[in-house]
Amino acid sequence: MGPEVARMATSPALLETRGLSKRFVIRRLFLREQTVIDALKHVDFQIAPQRITALVGESGSGKSTLAGCLARLERPDEGEIWFQGDEISRWNEQQLRSVRPKLQMVFQDSPGALNPRLSAAQIITEPLEVQRRERGSSLRAHACELMEEVGLSANLSARTPLQLSGGQRQRLAIARAIALRPALLILDESLSGLDLSTQAQIVNLLLDLQSTYGLTYLLISHDLSLVGQVADFVAVMHDGQIVEHGKRTQIFTAPQHDHTRSLLAFRRRLDADRQAASAGGRL
Amino acid sequence: MRYLMRRSFHGVLLLVAVSVLCFLFSDLAPGSFLDEMKLNPQISPQTSTALRAQYGLDQPLAVRYLRWVESVTHGEWGYSFAYNLPVSSLLPIRARNTLALTLAATVLAWAIAIPLGIWSAYRNGRWEDRFTMGATSFLLSVPELVFAIGLLFLAVRTHALPAGGMQSLDAERFGLWQKTVDLGRHLAVPVTALVLASLPILVRHVRASMIEVLDMPFISAARGCGIGEAKLLLTYAFPAAANPLISLFGLSVAGLLSGSLLVEAITGWPGLGPLLLEAAMSRDLYIVIGIVMLSTIFTIAGTLLADVMLVVADPRVRAE
Amino acid sequence: MKGKRKLVIAAVFLVSLHVAILCAGFVAPYSPTVQNRDFAFAPPTRIHLVDSRGSWHWRPFVYDWEPRPNAIYEYEESRSGRRPVHFFVRGAEYTVAGIFSSNLHLFGVDAPAQLFLVGTDNYGRDQFSRVLYGGQISVAAGLLATLTSLLLGLLIGCVSGFYGGWVDESAMRCVEIFLVLPWLYLLLAVRAFLPLHITPVHAFLLLVGVIGTIGWARPARLVRGIVLSVKTRKYVIASRGFGASDTYILRRHILPETYGVLLTQAALLVPQYIVAEVALSYFGLGLSEPLPSWGNLLASLQQYNVLVSCWWMFAPALALVLISFGYHEVANAFHEQLQSGST
Repeated sequence: MGPEVARMATSPALLETRGLSKRFVIRRLFLREQTVIDALKHVDFQIAPQRITALVGESGSGKSTLAGCLARLERPDEGEIWFQGDEISRWNEQQLRSVRPKLQMVFQDSPGALNPRLSAAQIITEPLEVQRRERGSSLRAHACELMEEVGLSANLSARTPLQLSGGQRQRLAIARAIALRPALLILDESLSGLDLSTQAQIVNLLLDLQSTYGLTYLLISHDLSLVGQVADFVAVMHDGQIVEHGKRTQIFTAPQHDHTRSLLAFRRRLDADRQAASAGGRL
Repeated sequence: MRYLMRRSFHGVLLLVAVSVLCFLFSDLAPGSFLDEMKLNPQISPQTSTALRAQYGLDQPLAVRYLRWVESVTHGEWGYSFAYNLPVSSLLPIRARNTLALTLAATVLAWAIAIPLGIWSAYRNGRWEDRFTMGATSFLLSVPELVFAIGLLFLAVRTHALPAGGMQSLDAERFGLWQKTVDLGRHLAVPVTALVLASLPILVRHVRASMIEVLDMPFISAARGCGIGEAKLLLTYAFPAAANPLISLFGLSVAGLLSGSLLVEAITGWPGLGPLLLEAAMSRDLYIVIGIVMLSTIFTIAGTLLADVMLVVADPRVRAE
Repeated sequence: MKGKRKLVIAAVFLVSLHVAILCAGFVAPYSPTVQNRDFAFAPPTRIHLVDSRGSWHWRPFVYDWEPRPNAIYEYEESRSGRRPVHFFVRGAEYTVAGIFSSNLHLFGVDAPAQLFLVGTDNYGRDQFSRVLYGGQISVAAGLLATLTSLLLGLLIGCVSGFYGGWVDESAMRCVEIFLVLPWLYLLLAVRAFLPLHITPVHAFLLLVGVIGTIGWARPARLVRGIVLSVKTRKYVIASRGFGASDTYILRRHILPETYGVLLTQAALLVPQYIVAEVALSYFGLGLSEPLPSWGNLLASLQQYNVLVSCWWMFAPALALVLISFGYHEVANAFHEQLQSGST
């Protein structure tokens, strides 16, 4: 009952989905009611290698569900996921073990994102521990290296997440995610909730890491101005489907779909307000 | 209404599950009731054979269970080997006595706990509150067992109250008033023991709930309107604090029954407790099962009653 | 910090009670089984500091006691000889936890005087010693039964909350069944189905097993609640993303969250279980002679004349209250610590 290891001709995408669908059923036992939510409806999606692809859309459009399926934290109901030549949508935990290090996620800075009882060093080395790559002193040394790579000073290694600032926590989360040298990093609203200067620093860090390690990013965000500054490609999601997907410049200047247009229109209003506010001396 | 029906149905399912488990467990136990029945001199061989046939005592477990269910539908609830009577002739009076005791104790305990808790919450942090907290701390550590024996000791030493039982030996000769007084005197020790045992928890919960409510903005608003403190406490604060207390009441039924078992057994109050104890020692199977079922019914009824009271008392629950 | 100080004080109090009980052999002047038929139901020996001639002595002393002639259970002091109370005396042999033996006792008097701090029972056995030794049994029963309940509850709660599905459903139905019955009724019912007359060791294990298994339901439900809430946190999902196994996630992330709840439950369950053992033994369904337990020590109070005249037989009840108080204070203080720590 192994997976179909159909080796496809190397397609240009690092990760590709075809007809991906996922539905959630909420059962209420006694009343026999069932609420069915189609979170993803036949999604066809490609992520270009070593580029930043942004996934935008309103709340409830299915962005996080898609991210969860891509990282195989959820199991899709229908469709295929092709990653580096393997079709992984039906793989079990055993099979996924070899692939997991290459697909990592960084979450939004929230109380549940990092275990508040662990120290920074322990958080960073958790993936290495789990994959049993190192032990003891080499583990600690590796932790210090990773911390420096993301711009955290090594003397923060004993601190717990609550003793760090939001920006430091996100750096920690990124350090944890790159510990296994992934190929694809999914950033699920990772920059939301940070102040603008911290955001800029983290973005610079991410760009540096990309050029050092050849990482591919999938940036999920509702912040269109950020997307406008950083992304190479943009995919717009609405109601469980990808309604538009293309180069950033193309999407932003000549949107095809109604929904994209309304999103951009709203963003322009916000930007105008921001400019007016900063011009008026209020920041 | 539908909610209540659903809960009652759920309760019935629970009762069935409990009865099945009882039978299953009795089967695991070593020793046989058959043998013990044979040894009992009070039961004649004819009755013995008749019982064996009726209850299927030498048949497999499933048959025995079904025969018992049948006897329940006939109103007999099985047979007591020790008393040589159907269980249903023994349980009602005992159940009535237990209910009388626990009801009296519950009413008295809440009647003391509510004013005490409200006052303690009102005087939060001052010496009255601290004294109440200290006293409840102490009372909490004394188990009902100790209360019962201790009170019995006091009663006996001071000759003020009778040393157990439900009525005096010559109670039949008493008139109605004297009978009531006599009953009251016999109730005093067990009820006091139960009240002292359950008071600390009730007081603490009333206090905690009131403190939470007194912190809420609508109380300060009412105070600002010039509403007097007494009216504020009783008609504004307390009804809002009642919700968790009603739930507590529902959940406390089980604990109260356990407590009353001990107190009854120690003070000789003829309730379900001493009967269960006897049946446990003489391995009188059907009485044990009957009492277990009855206590389950009481607990379920208690929680259902609490649910009904919640719906009636709290408009927030009605809105759901 | 005030809260922490309360916890420390309560814990110290509780631990010293346990140490006294553990070292029953040392603290108690006599062995619990030694009988003095001449001194049945003797009241507590009076300790004096001033003798019959009115002179003060720094070392407390007792007089010899003699049974009053033509009376039962009545005694009087004979002012003949003063027997000083000595500390750290040599007396009967005893073993501590079955490992090493000694004959050093905290205090005692020279023979033939007797020092019955809390009087004697119907066989003339020193109640003070019996309460201490009985404490070993009763408290051990409570502790072991609590351990059983908590381990069972932890196991079932974790499996139920973590894996969900039909395992969870059936476990929760079982929890409901166990919680719908009043615990003492359940205990008696289970006890009823088990053999009555068994060896003391078996009785002890049976007691622990029965009491322990009826109490798994509430801890299981609490643990399950914690598991459910931790399971959905992002860092657990991230762990899965690294390929962590279920056991790793349970061990590293979920288990540490349960410790607080488990400790508070422990502090509440131990006194309850000790009371359960005392109740069972009191009614003769638990541990019986010659093994002393607070329950069967209190059982003598079931006799009317003992209840009326021998107030010192209440000593086990006092010990029970002290232990309960200790545990409840620790539970309270710990609970307050947890609350203040999480806000």
